[in-house]
Amino acid sequence: MQKRLLYLLLLISFGCVQPYEVELEEGPQILTVDGTITSGAGPHRIFLSKSATYGSIFEGLVRPVSGATVIARDELGNMVFFSEKSENRGEYQAPDSFFAVIGRSYTLQIQLSDGKVYTSFPEKVTQPPAIKKLSYKSVTTPVEGEINNASGVQLIVDIDDPGEENNFYYWRNAQATYVLETRPDLFVNKETRDPAPKDCCSICYTSELVGNQSIFIATDDNFNGLSTKIPVAYIPDDGVRFIQTYRIDLRQLSISSEAYRFLRLVKQQSETSGSIFDPPPASIRGNMISLDDPNEVVLGYFIAAGETSRRVYIKGAELDFRQNRGIIPDDCREVYDSVVNPPADWNPEE
Amino acid sequence: MKKLLLILFLLSTQASFGQTTQREVIGRDIGQIKGLKILVRITDEITGDPLIGATATVPELAINKVTDTNGTIELILDRAEYNLQFRYVGYQTIDFPITAVGDGRIAIRMIQEDFQLDDVVIFGRDPEKNIRSTDMGVVTLSMNTIKELPPFLGEVDIIRSLATLPGVSQVGEAAAGLNVRGGTPDQNLVQFAGAPIYNPTHLFGLFTAFNADIVNDVTLYKSFIPSKYGGRGSSILDILPKAGSISNWGGDLMVGTTSGKLSINGPILKDKISVLGGIRGSYINWFLKALKNPDLKNSRANFNDANLIISAPISDENELTYSFYRSYDDFAFASDTTVSWTNTSQSLQWKSQFTEKLAMNVLGYFTQYDYEIFNQSGFNDFELKSNIRDLGAKLNFSYDFSPKNRVNVGGDFKRLEIQPGELTPSGDEQDILPKKVQNEQGIESGLFFQHEFELGESFGITYGLRYDMFQYLGPRIVQQYDENKPLSEGTATGEVAYTDGEKITNYNGLGPRVSMRYSLSKSSSIKAGYNRMYQFIHLISNTATIAPTDVWKLSDNFIEPQIVDQYSLGLYKNLKGNIFETSLEVYYKGIQNVVEYKDGVNLILQDHLETELVPAEGRTYGVEVYVKKNLGRMTGWVAYTYSRSLRRVITPFEENTINDGEWYSSNYDKPHEVTVIGNYKIRNNISLSATFGFSTGRPVTYPVAKFDYSGISLAYFDRRNELRLPNFHRLDLALNFKLNGTGRFFEGDWTFSVLNVYGRKNAFSLFFVDEQGSPPQANQLSILGVPLPSLSYAIKF
Repeated sequence: MQKRLLYLLLLISFGCVQPYEVELEEGPQILTVDGTITSGAGPHRIFLSKSATYGSIFEGLVRPVSGATVIARDELGNMVFFSEKSENRGEYQAPDSFFAVIGRSYTLQIQLSDGKVYTSFPEKVTQPPAIKKLSYKSVTTPVEGEINNASGVQLIVDIDDPGEENNFYYWRNAQATYVLETRPDLFVNKETRDPAPKDCCSICYTSELVGNQSIFIATDDNFNGLSTKIPVAYIPDDGVRFIQTYRIDLRQLSISSEAYRFLRLVKQQSETSGSIFDPPPASIRGNMISLDDPNEVVLGYFIAAGETSRRVYIKGAELDFRQNRGIIPDDCREVYDSVVNPPADWNPEE
Repeated sequence: MKKLLLILFLLSTQASFGQTTQREVIGRDIGQIKGLKILVRITDEITGDPLIGATATVPELAINKVTDTNGTIELILDRAEYNLQFRYVGYQTIDFPITAVGDGRIAIRMIQEDFQLDDVVIFGRDPEKNIRSTDMGVVTLSMNTIKELPPFLGEVDIIRSLATLPGVSQVGEAAAGLNVRGGTPDQNLVQFAGAPIYNPTHLFGLFTAFNADIVNDVTLYKSFIPSKYGGRGSSILDILPKAGSISNWGGDLMVGTTSGKLSINGPILKDKISVLGGIRGSYINWFLKALKNPDLKNSRANFNDANLIISAPISDENELTYSFYRSYDDFAFASDTTVSWTNTSQSLQWKSQFTEKLAMNVLGYFTQYDYEIFNQSGFNDFELKSNIRDLGAKLNFSYDFSPKNRVNVGGDFKRLEIQPGELTPSGDEQDILPKKVQNEQGIESGLFFQHEFELGESFGITYGLRYDMFQYLGPRIVQQYDENKPLSEGTATGEVAYTDGEKITNYNGLGPRVSMRYSLSKSSSIKAGYNRMYQFIHLISNTATIAPTDVWKLSDNFIEPQIVDQYSLGLYKNLKGNIFETSLEVYYKGIQNVVEYKDGVNLILQDHLETELVPAEGRTYGVEVYVKKNLGRMTGWVAYTYSRSLRRVITPFEENTINDGEWYSSNYDKPHEVTVIGNYKIRNNISLSATFGFSTGRPVTYPVAKFDYSGISLAYFDRRNELRLPNFHRLDLALNFKLNGTGRFFEGDWTFSVLNVYGRKNAFSLFFVDEQGSPPQANQLSILGVPLPSLSYAIKF
C-alpha cells in the first residue's frame, strides 16, 4: 500500500527513482542458513551459502557452501542426516522417509568442512490449522513508466483460526502444473529462417515452481478465533501460464513466533521502496549461532513447522484480466519439463 | 561555481539609491500652462507596497495632500518650479524639486527612517536590536520576507522558509518537520494563534498547512527560549495570524498551478469588530481525474485549510481575539487505501493593558489532530483511527518597571488525551478483529517567572525559571516486567490496573533560563545563554519525517521525559550603519531520554510500546555564521552551519545496544549546510529572487552483506547510520512582477518560479534492489527530480 502511495506522491512532485553508484568495501562472508523441515511430505531441504558484498556483479554472487555435515536432532535424541545433492552444491536434503513430528522440538547442527560448528535454537513443530477453502482472483498493478499494467493471480485462503492459542502462519507455493499451448505450425527453421511448420504438438503439461517475490505470513493478533480470508500467494501472469488451466498446491505452515518475527523483517525489507514512509533498515538476525565464536554473525533461519496443503485449479477463462497471450512457435515438448500426457492425478473438475 | 557567483552577486551589490536633489522635469511639454495633472504614486522602497496616508506638500501653493489606498495623489499644478516634499510617519522625508511642464507621473520610493524596514527585516523596528537585546537565536520572519523567497509550486511556504536560516534544516524535500540545531521534529512546538498544531503539513510535507495570506509573522526561538514557553526540547515556532481591518473590506486571491487561496477581511461592526476568513485548497484531484489510467483516475491527493479570525479591540486597553483553524488532507491510490489527517484548533485570547506598566494576556485553546487510514480493497476492510486532543490555558502578566526593566510571571495548564489507534472492521464479512490501543491521559502544567533588565549601556541580562509538572493518569492497565531482563512481551510479569483519573506516575523539574549581553560597542555585542527544557510527549517514529506510521506517546513509567540542556555563545556585529548584520553563534546541547527504536519494530496498534524502544542520550553542537544585507536593491543573506547531532544507546542488555553502545550519527546529522538567499529589485515592480542550498547528505545505514533467503535477496545491515547520502544542493529562482493597478480596484502580482533550476536529483533515500538476472543495485529516490516551474497570480482587493 505504501509503495502505491509513494508512486502517486512522486507523480505529483515529478520525483523519480534511479540507480545510484555506490562504492562499498568488501564485506565479510557470512554463513547463511535457509532451511525448513515440516510435518509434510517434503522434500525437506537446508540451503547453505556465504553472503556477498553489494557492488559489482562478481562481488554480488552468493556462493554455496559445500561439504558440510548437516544434522537435525529432536529432543528425544533422534537424528536425521541431510545429504548434499551432487547436482546442486550447497543444497542438503533429508531422506525421503523423513518428516517432522508435530509436538517435537528440533535443532539444526552444522559442521563446515573447515571444522567450524553451528547450531540453531530449538524450534517446536505445532499443529497447523486446516485450509477451509482456496480461491483466486486476478489483480493488476500499474508499473511506473509502462502503459500496460502488470497482472497476476492472487490466491486467497479461508481459514478458521483456533481461538485458544496465538497462531503464526507462513504460506509457500509448492509445485505447479499447467496446460501449455504452443503453435508448432508457426515454427521457423533457425538457420534458413524459412517457415517449417511442425505437425505436433500444441498441447502439453508443464511443471514449475514459482517463488514468491514477497513473503506471505500472518499472525492471528487481528483475527484470533475468527474465520478469515487472507491473500497467500501471487503468481505473475507471463502470458502463458493462464491460457487454459493452472494447478498449484499451496503449503500452509504453522511456525513459531520467533520465526514469524524473522520472516516479518525479511518481508519488510523485500517490500522496501525507498519511500519516505519506509522504516529504516533493520538488522535481520536469525536463530543460528556459532559454537566456536559467540560473536560471529550467522544469517538466515531454521524453521520447523507443521504443514497442511491444498490444491487449486485456476481456470484462465474465469479470470477478469489476462495479459496478451504469449506465442511459443514450436512443438510444446521442446519446452523444458513438458510432457504430452497429463499427470495421473490431473482433475480440473474436482 | 553557481554558488560562488551568487555570493559575489550578493556581496557586490550595495545600497544603490540616493535622494533626488537634482530638479526633475515632469510631464510632456505641449505648451500647456495651467491645470497640469501630475499623478504621484508613493511606495515602500523595499516591499514595493503603496504607502497609504503619506503626505505630499507643495509649499509654493500651500497644498497638503494625502495618498489614497493605492498610494496615489493627483496634483493639479501650473507650469512652474516646485519644491515638493513627501512625508510619511516612520519614513525618511523626501525633498523632490521639479519643473512641471505637462501632464505626468512621479514615482516615489520611500525608505524607513531607521534604515530598517519592519516589513523586511528580522529584528523588528530597532536596527540595533540584534546587538542590544539579550535575545539569542530568535528569528522573526514577516510574511513580506517570506514572500520574497522563491515559492514552492506557486505557494509561499513558511516552514521551508525557516529552513533557510542557520541551524534550521529539513531531512529532505518531502520532509514535514524542521530539525532545529540537530533536534527531532517533535522537539519543536508549532503553535498557531497560541494553540499547538501536531502536523503542520499537507501532502506528507510537500506543502505547509498554513495559508500565508492569513499569517502575520512567524517567530522561531532556537536558542534562548523565554520561560513562558515549555514542553518541547528544541524550539518554539510561534505563528501569529493577522487581524482583519476595522475600517474597510478587502481581500487576497491567489491562483497557482496546483492550489489556490482566497481570504477576505473587514469590519463586521465598523471600528469595533473585524473578521478575517481564508480558504485554501488544491486542485491536484482535477488533474488526476483527467488522466486515462484508471488507477490514477481513481486516486486522490486532496488538501485544504480554512481560517477564521475575529478580533475585537473592545477599548484602547482591551482586545479579544478568536481564531479557528482547520486543515484537512486525504490521499488515496486507486481508491483502495486512503490516508487522511485533520488538524483543528480554536483559541480565544484576551489582552489587557491594566495600567501603563501592567499588562495581562489570557489564552484558552482546544486543538485536535486526527489521523485515519481506510482500507477498502475488499479484503479485511478496516478503518484505523487515532487522535490527540489538547485543552489548555495560559496566563501571563508583565510589569514594566521601566522600559529597560521588565518582569513576566504566569502559568499554563494543558490536558492531553491521546487515542493511539483503534482498528474497526468495515467489511461485510467478520474477518478481522477490532483492536483498540489504550487511551492515554496526562496533565502538563508550568509556572514561570522572567526578569529582563539592563545595567548601564553595556550590560543586559534576562533570567527566568520555569517549573514544569507532568502527571500521567489512568484509566490504564500497565504491564510489569522482570527488572533484570530487557523489556519485551516475553519478560512481562503481570499487570496493574489504574482507575480513571488515578495518577500512574508524575515528573517535575526546574528549568532555568538565562541570557546575558555585553556590548563591545554600539554596533557589536557578545551574548551567552543557558536553557533547560523538559518534554513530556514523544513522537515515536522509525522514519526520518512525520509519517503515517508515527505514534505520539506521553511519558509514562518506562519512557521518561526528555531533558534538553542548551549552552550558547554568540558574537554580533552590524556593519555600514546596520546595512549588514552579522552573527556567529556556537551551541552545545545535551539531551537525556531520547527514544530509539529496536530493529524492525512494529509501532502501529502496539499496546506496549516500551518493549519496542530503547533509551538513548543525544548531544548536538555546532557553529552558525550568518551575514545579512538588509537594505538596497539587493537584499538577502548567507548562512553557514557546521553542526553535529549524535546519539548513544544506554542499556545494560547487550541485545538492545545499537552500534555497540558508541556514539553514532542521528538521522538529522548534516555537518555542513550553506544557504544563500538573494532578492534583487530589477525595477520598482520587478524582482528576482534566488535560493541556493547545500548540505552534507544525511546519514543512512548501508548493508555490509547480501544474502539469499527463500529465493529473496536480502541485505544484512549491521551498524546504524554509518554512511551518508550524496550531498544535497539545489537552486531555486523566482521572478515577481507587480502590476500596480493605479486607479483600479486592485493590484496584481505575477510570480513565476523554477525550483531545482539545474535539475539536480537529490537523494531522499537510498535502497537496494536485487532482481534476478541483474547485479544487486543501489537505487536512490528523488522527490524533486526535474526543474519544476510554476506560475501564480495573486491580487489584492
